[in-house]
Amino acid sequence: MTLSDAGSDIRSALLAADPRLSKFKPLPRILAFDEFDSGTHGWCELLGNYNGRGDLSTVDAHMRDFRPPQLSACNFFDIGTHGAMSGTYALKLATRPHKGHTAVAIRRLTMSGRGLVQLETYFAFKSEATLGGGDELDTFGDVQWDGNTHPSEAQFGAFTVATDLCGDGGLRYHTVARYQNTDLDNHFTRRWMAPTVPEPTPREHFEGKVKLEYAADFTAPNPEDWQAFGDPQELCYNEVPTKVNWHYLRWLVDTDARKNVELQVNDRVMDMRDVPVPPYEERYETLENLLNFYFSVRTHSDVRNFLFLDSVLISVDW
Amino acid sequence: MRQSMTAVLERDTEFAKDFGTEPYEVAWAGEARWFVQHVDGDGTARYVTQVSPDGITWCDLDGTEHAVEPGALVSWPAAGFGHWLRLRAVVDGTVRVRIHLAIKA
Repeated sequence: MTLSDAGSDIRSALLAADPRLSKFKPLPRILAFDEFDSGTHGWCELLGNYNGRGDLSTVDAHMRDFRPPQLSACNFFDIGTHGAMSGTYALKLATRPHKGHTAVAIRRLTMSGRGLVQLETYFAFKSEATLGGGDELDTFGDVQWDGNTHPSEAQFGAFTVATDLCGDGGLRYHTVARYQNTDLDNHFTRRWMAPTVPEPTPREHFEGKVKLEYAADFTAPNPEDWQAFGDPQELCYNEVPTKVNWHYLRWLVDTDARKNVELQVNDRVMDMRDVPVPPYEERYETLENLLNFYFSVRTHSDVRNFLFLDSVLISVDW
Repeated sequence: MRQSMTAVLERDTEFAKDFGTEPYEVAWAGEARWFVQHVDGDGTARYVTQVSPDGITWCDLDGTEHAVEPGALVSWPAAGFGHWLRLRAVVDGTVRVRIHLAIKA
């Protein structure tokens, strides 16, 4: 899509004058603008596939408990309602307090063209507060409470933004960006990662090739199948588990080239063009033009992890 | 038009002991209704709606117990609940449960 210079100037002025949109930098065509102060906007729980009788016992164990998203006022024990960046409510993903558990929200669209696709959001990540207990709770992972740093930061595992894309004769692939705050031993890594293998599928389980356990990493279960990109990045946790600071994230992919392009998180722009996007070897039916996005949060401790999204904007150049 | 949402808090999960559902934030909602279905198992469970100021500390909303027998679907409303809801369940035997929370602004 191209605009004349005058048209581009007018569009820029209109975006800049709208306080809801001026905090984003959309490509020419906005497919979705999801401000969670007005509902869930199609972001729903992900569930694995099941048989023709609705028998949920046929859902893969690692894909049957991704938890329903919540409209959260960011309520906390210490200050009450924190509120979102825009209005009162954010979309919250909450894991169970079970090491490895993942909560997922997915948004399902299809492609009416090919080219650049951009997802923007304002997000915050937190571990659940712990109330009570003994002095031993002042230490976790790499953190000893010192009045500033807080052990709950080391109880946060990772969050992920990803796609599920298919087209061009059933060629299916994912683009993925994960922020790993800690490794599975609760040591800070604070790095961005992407998987080097495609996501395991229900059909692979059905065919007896893969069987993953509850709380396995559904995006890529083997930690060795992840590679870091960019430099480590420290985000703003802000000391305690109940302060919410919103981070800007802008992620650009190219569905024509079937590649990542770049990821911006706050003031850091990371070139992702060399980050691999492994496709499935087999072709898929019934997924033509699939354009799905998901956010997930995964705990690496037995503490609930939360990902809050204030709003999401998805735009394209087609 | 009123906002509404259905959350599936347990999806055919098997329990052989007492349990509580995960905390769910409902600050935006004016009314709520539980649907508890025992999809399998020969046990019985008794459920009580609980409320919380913070999602961490819980008390019973009204103390009313709702018993669910094998194969049954039982529903009850919750009102005046504040900003968090969950169920606590006392389980006798083994139950496989599906729990929906239906909420409206």
